[in-house]
Amino acid sequence: MRFERALLITALLALSLLLPACTAATQAPGGPGASVGPKRTREQNIELGRQHKTAADLFKALRDEAKGGQKLEWNRLPDWSGVYSRPLDRGFNFDIDQPKDVQTTAKLTPEYQAKLVKRLEDLKKDIEWDPISTCAPPGVPRWLTEPFLREFIVTPNQTWLINEMVNDIRRVYTDGRDHIPEEDRVPIPNGDTIGFWDGPRLIMHTNQLKAGIYQRGNPDYTDQVETVEIWQKTDDRTMGVDVWVYDPPALVEPWYVYHTYLKLSDPPRIQYWDCGENKNNSVFQNKEGTTEFRSLGYSEEKNTEKSK
Amino acid sequence: MKSTVVFALIAAVAILASSAPAAAHHSSAMFDKTKVITVEGVVKKWELTNPHSWLWVDVVDKNGKTVQWGFEAEGPSTLARAGIRPSDFKNGTKIKITGNPLKNGNPQAIWIDAVRESDGKKFDPRAGFAVK
Repeated sequence: MRFERALLITALLALSLLLPACTAATQAPGGPGASVGPKRTREQNIELGRQHKTAADLFKALRDEAKGGQKLEWNRLPDWSGVYSRPLDRGFNFDIDQPKDVQTTAKLTPEYQAKLVKRLEDLKKDIEWDPISTCAPPGVPRWLTEPFLREFIVTPNQTWLINEMVNDIRRVYTDGRDHIPEEDRVPIPNGDTIGFWDGPRLIMHTNQLKAGIYQRGNPDYTDQVETVEIWQKTDDRTMGVDVWVYDPPALVEPWYVYHTYLKLSDPPRIQYWDCGENKNNSVFQNKEGTTEFRSLGYSEEKNTEKSK
Repeated sequence: MKSTVVFALIAAVAILASSAPAAAHHSSAMFDKTKVITVEGVVKKWELTNPHSWLWVDVVDKNGKTVQWGFEAEGPSTLARAGIRPSDFKNGTKIKITGNPLKNGNPQAIWIDAVRESDGKKFDPRAGFAVK
């Protein structure tokens, strides 16, 4: 009897020691108790950007810090399910932490500072032309700012970051491949993104991007722009993204910002965007440099009509 | 109901300018965010399209002439987030609708809000950008 009781106690003790280990072994990255990586303040993240001359350097440093990262498996994927959107309660700027009384938190070169000043002066006169007015995709890094529906699809070798706007998908290759060779790179809106997983964090590097604007009333970026991003769920409802932007012709130092996307409780289904399906959405840049509709009015015969 | 223009070109308060909708793909520079118009009329066509939807309303002006007003809003999923559905505006639906008009004087505006006469339901497209 005494022996049986001792055996039972020993078994229970062993079980209590083994259970946490088993849970950790089967737990998906990002689950409760998962590693969240080094916690840095905004100032420390700004400084981290400054410490690395290029986006590629920063990405390599983060990969070294994570000892190369970990390979995902189908039965241990982080739960990034749901439909998300960017909250606009703090405005539309690329840096949502930008104080209201400053033009930008980016440290711009004189040429790009002058461009921003001109843009803001024009805005005061209601002169504005958005380069995506003809249905071009927003492109990265602007992609991060758009206020529409998003889905994040995780697989072991690729993660798809989807924005419903113009059916836009960023493919993040996490299978260990490198970027396209430099001599074969052609600027494209969403560029080329590679990444790795470090616990619940997706760390990625994007190059091969096309010039654009961060958002209306925000600075320009050039086709030398590159980003390093760390994506991580901070709670069941919130996706947070640390972003470092490198763009030597336009930025005198990397621009660090933090983006947040919130999961919607009752989202509609994401629909296909045919940006040219309604002629009433067709605009042009007039001789004053601002935006004007081509023609407006509905057709009695057809519900919608393609833009001419 | 005989549709009538209720009133036009009210001086707007500054807050209206700051709360103008975030347009999906083009600037709203062509609209006068310092002015607000409100009209009553009958829905003639409901174009639920991306990146912008258009609600077309026949409005009878003070001279008895029917004017075709167009109100621009966001695309279908953003409107759905605001509780605005395809079935809300069947042709012939009587509404009172408010917006910031075009600067060039043409009868089109950014849709700010609307009220359906049959049940008093309100429709604010900008509510679709709230994340909840």
